[in-house]
Amino acid sequence: MSNNFIRAISVGEIAPGGMKAVELDGHEIVICNCGGTFYAIQRRCGHMNAPLEMGTLDGTYVTCGMHCAQFDVITGQALSGPVPADMGNEALPPRVAAMLQNVGMQMQHVRTESICTYETKVEGGWVHVAP
Amino acid sequence: MDTEARKKALHYFFDKLVGPLGFKFTPDVELKDFLLEQEVKLEAKHGVPFCPCQPIRNDRARDMKIVCPCIPYHREYFDALKRCWCGLFVHKDVTDPDSLPQLPPKEVGLE
Repeated sequence: MSNNFIRAISVGEIAPGGMKAVELDGHEIVICNCGGTFYAIQRRCGHMNAPLEMGTLDGTYVTCGMHCAQFDVITGQALSGPVPADMGNEALPPRVAAMLQNVGMQMQHVRTESICTYETKVEGGWVHVAP
Repeated sequence: MDTEARKKALHYFFDKLVGPLGFKFTPDVELKDFLLEQEVKLEAKHGVPFCPCQPIRNDRARDMKIVCPCIPYHREYFDALKRCWCGLFVHKDVTDPDSLPQLPPKEVGLE
């Protein structure tokens, strides 16, 4: 157990199923309320660094809002990489198609890494996190 | 990506989707485990957890109809069989999935 807990937010600040980003001791952290149990994870997605609090939390699974990579907030484990986007059936303007092809080619080499988790405890109506 | 962790996550999300449709996971634990593992592999390859027993045709409109759980796209047929194609999901009242007949659509009056 870490002794370096920092008071982060009050318990009532996040409704169950919600997330909130905080900065503690220089660390960008997202606190997740999973049905009344609080978990803390690194704010940056393990895929392309998007802020995870802008995604969705379902149970203990967080889905990044940018490319839908998924992580378990308890273990930080990466569960899914990005989901392919639907570009529709209509032909794109050549310049846009070329740009997307370039981005897609580079994104193929981006690995989805697991994310850091942080210890939490609730004390006196406050959520404390050990960054 | 850890296969077991992903299987657990797919189980969690699928369970929420199929329940309101009147389906549940098959009580055959071994089959469930096997099929979920195949879906994890398909998802790792294609980015989408396709049905493990249907061919991928590289035709997006058709392929989207075999993304698990594909129950809404084949509802009539699955309701007649009381199970989906691969048997990952069965009607909520099914306790013995092996007793369910696997009939082609024509034999249940759908073609």
